Amino acid sequence: MAAIGVHFGYTCACVAIFKDGRADVVANDAGDRVTPAVVGYRETEQIVGIAAKQGRVRNAANTVVKVKQVLGRSFDDPETQTHKTENKCQLVNRQDKPHYEITAGDRPVYVVPHDVAKLILHKMKETAQSALGSEVNEAVITVPFEFAHAQKRALREAAEAAGFHVLRLIHEPAAALLAYNIGQDCSAGKSHVLVYKLGGTSLSVTVLEVNGGMFRVLDTLTDHSIGGEKITEVLAQHLAAEFKRTFKHELSNNTRAMMKLMIGADMAKHNLSSLSTANCFVDSLHDGIDFECNISRARFELLCASLFNKSIQPIKALMEKVGLSNSDINQVVLCGGSARIPRLQQMIRDMFPDVEMLNSAPPDEVIAVGAALEAGLLVGKEGLAPEEETVTVDVSATDILVKEVDESGAEVFTVLLPSGTPLPARRQHVLTGGGELSSVSLEIYQRSLKEQPEKIAKIVLRNLQPKEDKHDIDTVVTMKRDGSVHVSCVEQSSGRPEVVTIAAAS
Amino acid sequence: MLLTALDGDETAVFKAAVASVQIQVEPVGRWFEAYIKRRNRTASASFQELEEEQQSSEESEDEEFVLQEYPMLRTLDPKDWKNQDHYCVLGLPHLRYKATQKQIKTAHKGIVLKHHPDKRKAAGEQIGEGDNDYFTCITKAIEILSDPVKRRAFDSVDPTFDNSVPSKNEGKENFTEVYAPVFERNARWTSKKHVPKLGTMESTFEEVDNFYSFWYNFDSWREFSYLDEEEKDKAECRDERRWIEKQNRGSRAVRKKEEMNRMRNLVDSAYSLDPRIKKFKDEEKARKEAEKKAKVEAKKREQEEKERARQAEIDAARLAKEKEEEEARQVAQLAKKEKEIQKKAIKKERQKLRTSCKTWNYFTEEESDSVKMMEEVEKLCDRLELTSLQSLNEILALGSREDSKVAVVKQVQEVNAQLQREKEAEVQQRQPTRSDHASAGGGGGSGKGFNEEDLQMLIKAVNLFPAGTNARWEVIADYMNLHSTSGTKRTAKDVIIKAKSLQRLDPKQKDDTNRKAFEKFNKEHSVVAATIDNAQPSERFDVAGASWTTEEQKLLEQALKKFPVTTAERWEKIAETVPGRSKKECMKRYKELVEMVKAKKAAQDVAGKTKK
Repeated sequence: MAAIGVHFGYTCACVAIFKDGRADVVANDAGDRVTPAVVGYRETEQIVGIAAKQGRVRNAANTVVKVKQVLGRSFDDPETQTHKTENKCQLVNRQDKPHYEITAGDRPVYVVPHDVAKLILHKMKETAQSALGSEVNEAVITVPFEFAHAQKRALREAAEAAGFHVLRLIHEPAAALLAYNIGQDCSAGKSHVLVYKLGGTSLSVTVLEVNGGMFRVLDTLTDHSIGGEKITEVLAQHLAAEFKRTFKHELSNNTRAMMKLMIGADMAKHNLSSLSTANCFVDSLHDGIDFECNISRARFELLCASLFNKSIQPIKALMEKVGLSNSDINQVVLCGGSARIPRLQQMIRDMFPDVEMLNSAPPDEVIAVGAALEAGLLVGKEGLAPEEETVTVDVSATDILVKEVDESGAEVFTVLLPSGTPLPARRQHVLTGGGELSSVSLEIYQRSLKEQPEKIAKIVLRNLQPKEDKHDIDTVVTMKRDGSVHVSCVEQSSGRPEVVTIAAAS
Repeated sequence: MLLTALDGDETAVFKAAVASVQIQVEPVGRWFEAYIKRRNRTASASFQELEEEQQSSEESEDEEFVLQEYPMLRTLDPKDWKNQDHYCVLGLPHLRYKATQKQIKTAHKGIVLKHHPDKRKAAGEQIGEGDNDYFTCITKAIEILSDPVKRRAFDSVDPTFDNSVPSKNEGKENFTEVYAPVFERNARWTSKKHVPKLGTMESTFEEVDNFYSFWYNFDSWREFSYLDEEEKDKAECRDERRWIEKQNRGSRAVRKKEEMNRMRNLVDSAYSLDPRIKKFKDEEKARKEAEKKAKVEAKKREQEEKERARQAEIDAARLAKEKEEEEARQVAQLAKKEKEIQKKAIKKERQKLRTSCKTWNYFTEEESDSVKMMEEVEKLCDRLELTSLQSLNEILALGSREDSKVAVVKQVQEVNAQLQREKEAEVQQRQPTRSDHASAGGGGGSGKGFNEEDLQMLIKAVNLFPAGTNARWEVIADYMNLHSTSGTKRTAKDVIIKAKSLQRLDPKQKDDTNRKAFEKFNKEHSVVAATIDNAQPSERFDVAGASWTTEEQKLLEQALKKFPVTTAERWEKIAETVPGRSKKECMKRYKELVEMVKAKKAAQDVAGKTKK
C-alpha cells in the first residue's frame, strides 16, 4: 500500500512516496523534485509552483508566497503583520482572520490562507498520483516543531480539504532523523542528534535525544530572519551593483527588474553549490539592456560570509542552552535547501570535527522522505496514530552504572541503562571479572546528568571457580515503569544467580 | 573488569532508585509504533521482553500440561470417527477448546510416538489392516483439530457442551447461581472478546444493561457443518456436489436457527427472571410515578393558589364596592336630608314672605296692583335663594311698611333684571346659528360664495357625477373650476358644504334657485335660438328636435353594442333598431355621448392628478 509524505515548507513543498519498502521523492510536472509553495491568481485560474513563482514578476499583487507564515494565525498576530508588510499581496482583516485580497478579476476576491495551502497540497497530491498512477490519500505531513496547536490544526484541515487522509503530522526534525534511519536499527543505546535546517525562509536548529528508538526534542531554536532568500538577496544586490557599474543605471527603484534579477541570482546560487563559477543572465533587465555576469563561488562566499556566520551562531547558543558540548553530539543532520551550500557544510563540519555528518541525501528532500517513511509505517494500521504530535512516556531519570576497573586499575563506570530509556526496559550485558578471582562484586550506581554517581546497591558473587579465562557474568537490568530496578547476575560457568531489587523512591 | 568482593561484602541495597520521569517524545518511527502497540495491549513488558516472555509462558504451559490417556482409544472404530471425541483421542479431554495449537501438536506427537503402527508392530502387537486400525482415529483427530475451520466445526458440536437452558422455575430462587454458569458456558461461542459477566445483585444499571445488550446482540461463531449428513468430498460430480451442498446448507440453517432460538430463549428467560431488571424497572416506575405525582401536586397547588388569589381579589372588589355604595348612600341621604331641610326652610321662608306680603297687603291698595305684586312676589318666591329670602323676610319682619315695600320692589327689580339678562343671553346664543345659516344659504355674498351660475353648475355637476364616482367631490370641484366663469377657485370641501346646504335648503330657496335657473335657461335659449337662426340653420332641427328619451337611449346603446365598428353599413342598421331616429341623429347622439364621456374622463383625470 502506498502512502505519501509531504513536506510543506514556507518557500517550497516536496513530496515523497512510500512504495514497496522504499521512499522516493517524486518530480512534479515541471520536472522539479521540489515545488515552490507559490500560488498565482489569474482572472480565471490559479497557478501553483514554478510558473507562479516566475509569473510573480508580472503579477506580484495576486501571487501568494509563504502562506505557511499566516496559516492558522489571527490577523493581529505579529507574525501575520510581518508577513503583511513583506508580502506584495494585500492582506486584509475580515472577522479577525487574515484574507488575501485578489484583484485579478473584476471584483476583488478574498482568499483565506487555508485555501492557498489547500491548492499547494493538492498540487503535491497530484504530483504523487501522477508518479504512482493511482489514487493515494494516506499522507503524513510535516510541521515545524515550533508550530502552535492552531497552526497544526489549520494545516491538517487544509490537507484534508486537499483530499488527503492525514495519518499524522510529524515534526520536521523527527522526519529528518527517520530519513537517515537514526535509532531505527536497534532500540538500545542513547545518542544526541543535531538537526540543522536552513530553508528558504527560516533557520531552525534542533537537538534531539534518541533513546530506545524514540526521539525526544531537547530544545530548538528558530530564526526567521535567515534563509535562502536572504542569501539570494545579497547576491542580487551584488549583481545590481555590478549592473550599475557597467551600465550606469540604478536598479533599486525598478521592482520588476529586481524580481527578475532575484530569479537569476537564485539560479546562480543553485549552480554555485555544485560548480565553482556560475553565470547569471537576465534578458532585458532594465531599459532593454541584457545583463550577463559571471560569479565565482569564492566571490559568493565572500559576499555571504556574514550571513553564513550568522546562520552558524544559533548552534552555539542552542548547545549552551541544552547543556551539551559539541562532542556530546553523535550525529548532525543537514536539511533545507540552503544546507546544500558547500561553505556552510564546511563551517558546520569545522564545528563538529569528529561527528558523523549526514548530508548524503539532498537536504531539501530528506524531510519529505522521512515523512513518507513514517507514512509507510502507519498506513494500513488502524487506531495506532495518536492525535497529538508529542506523546508522554515514562523514562528512566538516571543512568544506571556499574563500577569497574580498567587495565591500569583506575575506576570506570559502565552504563548499564542510560537515562531517558523508555520504560519498562530490560538491558542485558555480559560483564567480565578476572579469572583468578573467587568472588566479584557489582556495585550499582545511579547518576543524574553530570553529578557524581551515587551507590544504590551491591551484588556479590562468591565461590567462583578460578580459571584461565575471565569470568563472564550475565547481567540483566530491568526497570519498571515507576523506576524500580531489578538486577540479576549469573555467572555463566556455574549458573548460580544473584538477584537484587531496588525500589523506586516515591 | 569487575571488582573483587571484599570480605564481609554482602548483596545489599543502599538507596532507592530515582523514580521514573515523564517526557515528551516524537511519535515517529518503528520503535514508537511498537511501543504504542504494546501500550494498547496494556502489556507491561518491554518489547524485547515481550517475545521472550511469550515463549517462556508457552514453555511453562507445556510443562504443566499432562496427557491424559484415553482408555477407550484402542477400542475405537475408525469408521465411526464422526462420533468420537477428538480431544479425548489426543489425550486433551481436560483442555478441549482451550487447548492451544501448540499443545495439540505436542499431544499428537506424544500419541503418535506411542501408538504408531510401526511402533506397535515392533512391540509385537496386532495391527488392524489399512484404515481399520484405530490409529486412523488419531490421524483424523489431528486433521480436524489442526485445521482452524474444521476444529471450529468440531468445537461447535462439542459433545461435552451442555446445551441446556435452565427453566424459569429453576432460576426463580437464586438467579445468579443458576444463570452465571450458563452464561459463562455459552460465552465460548462469542466471536467478540471481553464478555461481560452476569455480575452480582449489586451490579449497577450500566453493567446490567451492558450485559443484556451483549447477549441480545450475541454474535456466535457456532456452526453445524460438522453434523452434515452428506460429505461434500464424496460427491462424484459437480451436480451431486451442488445437491449435497444444498442439503447441508438447509440442515445447517435449521440447526443454526435452533441454536439462535436457544440463545434467545436463554437470554429472554434470564431477562424476565432477573431480579435486578425488575428492581430497575420498579425503580424507574417509582421514579416516574413520583415525578408524575409531583407534577400533579404542583399543578394542583398552582391551581389552588390561583383560585385563592382570584377569590381574594373578588372579595376585595366586593368589599370596596360595598363600602363605596354605603358611602354614596350616606352621602345621598345626607344630601337628601339637607335638601329637605333647605326645602322646608325655603318653603317656610316663602310662606313667610307671602304672609308678610299679605299682611302688608302687597304694599298697595288697588286690586290690580296687588295682583301684579302677587305675581311678582310669586316670582320672587320662585327665583330667590334661601339666603336672600331670609334677609328679605328679616327686612319685612323688622321694617315698616315702606321699608318693606322698597326692599321687595328692589328684589323684584333685581329678579326681573336677571330674567331679562338670561333672556338676552339666550337670544344671543340663538343668533350665531342663525347668522351661519344666513351666510351659507346666502346667494354668494361672501368670499367663496356661489353666484347663481355657479349654483346651477354645481347642481349640474352633482347630477353629472352621481354618488359613487371616484373622488366625486374633487371631480366636481375641478369641473366647477374648469367651467366656472366667476374665476374663484373652489376646493372639494367648499363644494361639499355648498351641496349639503343646498340639499337642506328650505323650499323657498330651492324654488328660488330653480326659478332663477329657469329664467336663465329661457334667456340662454332665446340667445341660442337667435344664433342658430343666423349661423346653423341645418342643425336647428336637431337641437330643437326632441331630446333622447331613456328608451331611445337604451335602444341606441344596445345597437351600438350589437353592431361593432367593423360591421358594414353600421349606422344604417343602428338607425333601424332605434325607431323614430335617423342615421344622422344616431351618429350625432353617439358623438355627443363620446364627448360627454371624454369630458367626464378628463375631469376625473385632473382631479386624480391634483389629488395626488
